[in-house]
Amino acid sequence: MPKNAKGRDIAEIIPAKCIGCQLCVGECKVDAIRMENGVAIIDSEKCIGCGKCVDVCPSNAVLFEKIRKKKAVIPAAEVKPGTEANIKPEYHGVAVFIEVVRGEVSDVSWELAGKARELADKLQTEVIGLLLGSNVGEVAKEAIAYGCDSVYVMDKPVLAAYFSRMYGRALVSMCEQVKPEIVLIGATPLGRDLSSVVATQLQTGLTADCTGLDIEPDIKLLSMTRPTFGGNIMATIWCRTRRPQMSTVRPRVMKMPVKDPARSGEIIPLDFSADGITVPQLIEFLPRAAEAGGVDITKAPVLVVAGKGACDAKSLPMLEQLAQVMGGSLACSRPVIQAGLLPYVRQVGQTGKTVAPQLYIGVGVSGAVQHLVGMQGSRKIVAINIDKEAPLVKIADYSLIGDYKQIIPELIKGFEARSSQLKNKPQSNLKGSQA
Amino acid sequence: MITIVLRGIFCKLHIVCCIKQVPDTTQVKIDPQTNTLIRTGVESICNPYDIVAVEAAVKLAEKNGGKVTVITMGPPQADSALRDCLAVGANEAILLSDRAFAGADTLATSYTLSQAVKKISATEQVDIVICGKQAIDGDTAQVGPGLATRLGFEQITYISEVISASKDKIRVKREVDGGSEIIETKYPVLMTVELELGLPRYASLPELVRSVRQEVKVWGAVDIGANIEQLGLKGSPTSVKEIFAPKTRTGGAVIDAQGNGVNQFLDTFFQKEPEVVKEIWGGGA
Repeated sequence: MPKNAKGRDIAEIIPAKCIGCQLCVGECKVDAIRMENGVAIIDSEKCIGCGKCVDVCPSNAVLFEKIRKKKAVIPAAEVKPGTEANIKPEYHGVAVFIEVVRGEVSDVSWELAGKARELADKLQTEVIGLLLGSNVGEVAKEAIAYGCDSVYVMDKPVLAAYFSRMYGRALVSMCEQVKPEIVLIGATPLGRDLSSVVATQLQTGLTADCTGLDIEPDIKLLSMTRPTFGGNIMATIWCRTRRPQMSTVRPRVMKMPVKDPARSGEIIPLDFSADGITVPQLIEFLPRAAEAGGVDITKAPVLVVAGKGACDAKSLPMLEQLAQVMGGSLACSRPVIQAGLLPYVRQVGQTGKTVAPQLYIGVGVSGAVQHLVGMQGSRKIVAINIDKEAPLVKIADYSLIGDYKQIIPELIKGFEARSSQLKNKPQSNLKGSQA
Repeated sequence: MITIVLRGIFCKLHIVCCIKQVPDTTQVKIDPQTNTLIRTGVESICNPYDIVAVEAAVKLAEKNGGKVTVITMGPPQADSALRDCLAVGANEAILLSDRAFAGADTLATSYTLSQAVKKISATEQVDIVICGKQAIDGDTAQVGPGLATRLGFEQITYISEVISASKDKIRVKREVDGGSEIIETKYPVLMTVELELGLPRYASLPELVRSVRQEVKVWGAVDIGANIEQLGLKGSPTSVKEIFAPKTRTGGAVIDAQGNGVNQFLDTFFQKEPEVVKEIWGGGA
């Protein structure tokens, strides 16, 4: 155990484990910890060996062996069952914000309804839909079919278009009246804009862009897991003492539930007053040209992705054809954008879109980290590359090594042959049909 | 001194940019075996989205007359990120640094920033606050909207273009699901910006010299009149339970495409992935 000049036992930071969260800096009562290049450093002469930094460190980066009497933070295992869940007993139910954009419900809302059902079952509570908009009566019924037990609705002409402060007031008012213990919102542009307005007004915790949600057994807290540091680290976050526990959730991560029109539930209209709220003027909406034609790469079940190795104007029609034959879309990595061959909306990666298709086919995509973080959630990955050492090949479920100019036409031909075979055969005979 | 006074008199727009110093995250990884961070040569940089915010602010100030104040909350070393902003045209820089700010989540951060903006606005009224749409280390995109809410400003996120600005209103293009919106609003407004808005200029030599020499004010909790209960760790409702390495994918079959390789692959795929096939092409495809 290291000691300082005064003979005190002192704490030490293990730099490799430090994630630079600064929790210890805030906790240290004697100002002994400072940040340098993203790593905490303890000034041994200032340190009094109280060990508070050890307790707050989420990554066990503080080395401190002295035995202490009191613990500042109680580890999860030592929290008495129910204590945190009952911190505000008037809050109950798992609520889902149902996002309606220009008359259409975002798929993520139903994905969340499915997840909320699972969480609510673990908490033995109900699933609540929170619906804002204009002429959304049918949507409320749909919400029940997707698993909500009750749906609170503010159906007003002023809520026809989304404006941060207008929707913010509406959803805050809903949460104050309904008092859900959990509020889930889709991590769409709208959802991420709105969620922070609401959490700030309710003065509660909000965790962004989650990819995993679960209920911690015993203490009944919502464990919210999200990628951080550009997707290189996963962090699980808790909101211990304030309610509701709020989270935005990444689209297409949770499974779409099965719609059951026979389900019954309660639809409860709520009043809304927009008094005193000014909104900006929406001059015009410009639909994205490519997306208006049906191309939204985040929604395609199959993506054929052109990379640096296929960065060639002559080859793109061939790739587009493969995408079409497979019922998918054409996307690309950054070099193809930089070469001006495809528009920005088709880019996959850290500075482009995050995609998770059923089938990702990378053609000449080497697999730089910035690209991988945008696609590694894909269900199946196929790499077509001349180089079998390419990083994408290392993570792909299937790799075809060779010249894509020969491979793609063969794929198109081979797939067409099989798809026509598949049409008349039941799924169970699939295997036999390939003999 | 005279130039400062003159700037004060002729100033039309006062724009505050909120920036963050972040680790260059694409280099930070976690070792799945030991659950420790591999941070060989991780540098601290100014968040790329925030640099775009500063350039947008400087352009607005140049066109309409005005002044750009940059603020950041962080440790003393964040001073260098502020100086980077001074070098590309920001007029003033303030570092919010206090032990009490440390360990803040987005709620406590937006509180700290809002107290600072209120203090700045008390002497020189703030018309526009510009933030990057998100920081590349946390990727939350929550501080901007939280700050707008606390200030009671109009909020416009994901701006990809500033179309026009005048003394009392601004027209911008923002990116939303399925397209973009042209929006016009009066001041005060908080905007968060996308990378498409454009990268900053290169710093000229005189500006570089100025950026090094200029005073960067340092404000602590007392200076911004903050309630200590709402700051840093104390004011943060969220806490990290644990961190771990993401599931890494391991490579599967590597097939030589020569000869009958492509057909071999298709056969294997249809055989081994019936669920994926069903999900994509349905029962009857």
